[in-house]
Amino acid sequence: MTQYQLSTGEKKFIGWHLLAAILAFAVGSFFGPLQAFEHAGWDLYPYLKPLIKSYYQGLTIHGVLNALVWTTFFIMGFLTFNVIFGLKRPLKNMTLNKVGFWMMVVGVLTAAVPILANEATVLFTFYPPLKANPFFYIGLTLVVVGSWVEGWGFFMTYAAWRKEHPNERTPFIAFGSLVTTLLWQICTLGVAVEILTMLLPWSLGLIEGVDPQLARTYFWFTGHPLVYFWLLPAYISWYAMLPKQAGGGKMFSDSLARLAFWLFLVLSTPLGFHHQYVDPGVPPVWKFIHAMLTFSVFFPSLMTAFTVIASLEYAGRKQGGTGTLRWIGKLNWSNPSVAAQLLAGILFFFGGIGGLANASYNVNLVLHNTAFVPGHFHLTVATAVTLSFMGISYWLVPYLTGKKLWQPKWATIQAWVWFIGMIIFSNSMHVLGLLGAPRRVPLGLAPYIPAEWNSRLFQVGVGGAILFVSGVLYLVVMYKTATNKQTVESEVEVPIAEAMQDPALSPVWLDRWSPWVYGALALIVIVYGPQLFDMIKNIALTSPGFRVW
Amino acid sequence: MTKKDKADDEFRPTGTVVILAIFVVTLIVIWATIYMILIGRGGTL
Repeated sequence: MTQYQLSTGEKKFIGWHLLAAILAFAVGSFFGPLQAFEHAGWDLYPYLKPLIKSYYQGLTIHGVLNALVWTTFFIMGFLTFNVIFGLKRPLKNMTLNKVGFWMMVVGVLTAAVPILANEATVLFTFYPPLKANPFFYIGLTLVVVGSWVEGWGFFMTYAAWRKEHPNERTPFIAFGSLVTTLLWQICTLGVAVEILTMLLPWSLGLIEGVDPQLARTYFWFTGHPLVYFWLLPAYISWYAMLPKQAGGGKMFSDSLARLAFWLFLVLSTPLGFHHQYVDPGVPPVWKFIHAMLTFSVFFPSLMTAFTVIASLEYAGRKQGGTGTLRWIGKLNWSNPSVAAQLLAGILFFFGGIGGLANASYNVNLVLHNTAFVPGHFHLTVATAVTLSFMGISYWLVPYLTGKKLWQPKWATIQAWVWFIGMIIFSNSMHVLGLLGAPRRVPLGLAPYIPAEWNSRLFQVGVGGAILFVSGVLYLVVMYKTATNKQTVESEVEVPIAEAMQDPALSPVWLDRWSPWVYGALALIVIVYGPQLFDMIKNIALTSPGFRVW
Repeated sequence: MTKKDKADDEFRPTGTVVILAIFVVTLIVIWATIYMILIGRGGTL
């Protein structure tokens, strides 16, 4: 086996990202089940006083560490690997990437202090007029800027590679990683403006009030494409790695995969108003336009589903699978990395359906701010993304450390336990939402619970307990792998599925950046520009800060 | 450069099409169910 060799330093650098991600997952995942238990009437928060003072502080820790920190660190580490391995060259400026990484670490630690001190119990959406300690906003800013700096390092590396390979197609895993990085750099402008022009000066006392409507608009400029920042790295693995792992499969269509990534770049930012359907300050026409654009993202999503499943079908048939669907059983389910990602993909089907319901201008009225929404995003970020990342780490950590994966059978069981726990948890959250149960509420304390909610609230607790077991199992497997005395006989093979059609035959316009980048920026200006201009022109920095915890 | 097998040319992703058809039908059923809940709650004027 001859594959591109990463240096020990590069492997360590990627490993630091994964370590930070997994530590964040460990702490954040402790609080997730506590929310679920509270819903079921088993409130453990009183036992955590004075360390943790409330349900909302726990919810903030869970959201920030699991949705923001675990994902961002894992993604930046995985993308670093993809850029280096895909382009078969070292980073152009390793120091720059290291600076970015350590900025992120300092940012997390800076934000963690006020969160743990109960001075920033504002949930991971940090909507004003809830007001946090300035260090919370400074910390988040450092995390975002640090990720930008790492991204600039990727772009410099790509520019150097392009200079040396002017006529080659960008290798897919590097291509997907660069598009993901660019999407992140564009979409985080919203939250950067929100924090730097409003929340930070407000929390420092430099301005007296805040405009919650404008702040929410900035937030959702970032908030929805954030979902694609989470998902696209999982898609890179599903497209270009999973088919190989699942049975020696190939990527069904390199061209379709590249087109899907470009469409995600163009379409995933200018649609944030679908999170603000019930906000009074946004005219219905803009909400409708954003609704239509949200539905347009369904096309690259379906293209992804088609290409990935077709690639898996090819692998299953190559392993002797026959019939319309019996090839599914021939996939390499005993490999924990495969099992985790296949199970993540299965639940993502339902996450996609729930997402379309959320995005519908009419039926959103049934679901808005109900338990349906966390039920939905636990299928997306907490399963499609998180379970895929767990699956990726089952080969990536042995690759980086040279240690054998500890007890692969237990890793496979971990994936199945997560799958089962999430079905129970998420299904009951969806149903509770349809019955009218609100989100962001400690329902165990609510005096208005109708009897028909009780069995579902109990299931939320059961699902949370099962997910907790799975999370602990993941941490045990990771720890025992990192400290395993058994080393791999030879370097772990990086699973790269070649495309059925030579990528060199893909259209050149699918490897050209400028039309897609200009297109993305133009669409943002067209569908956000007029409304943002109006909101900024009529800005009302009048709302005082609230501390309700 | 990718090697193209004969199997690649003969491969027809029929199972994939069936899975996606099941997905679309499920999507329509779930969406319509929520829509009926919306209608059932009545209009607000």
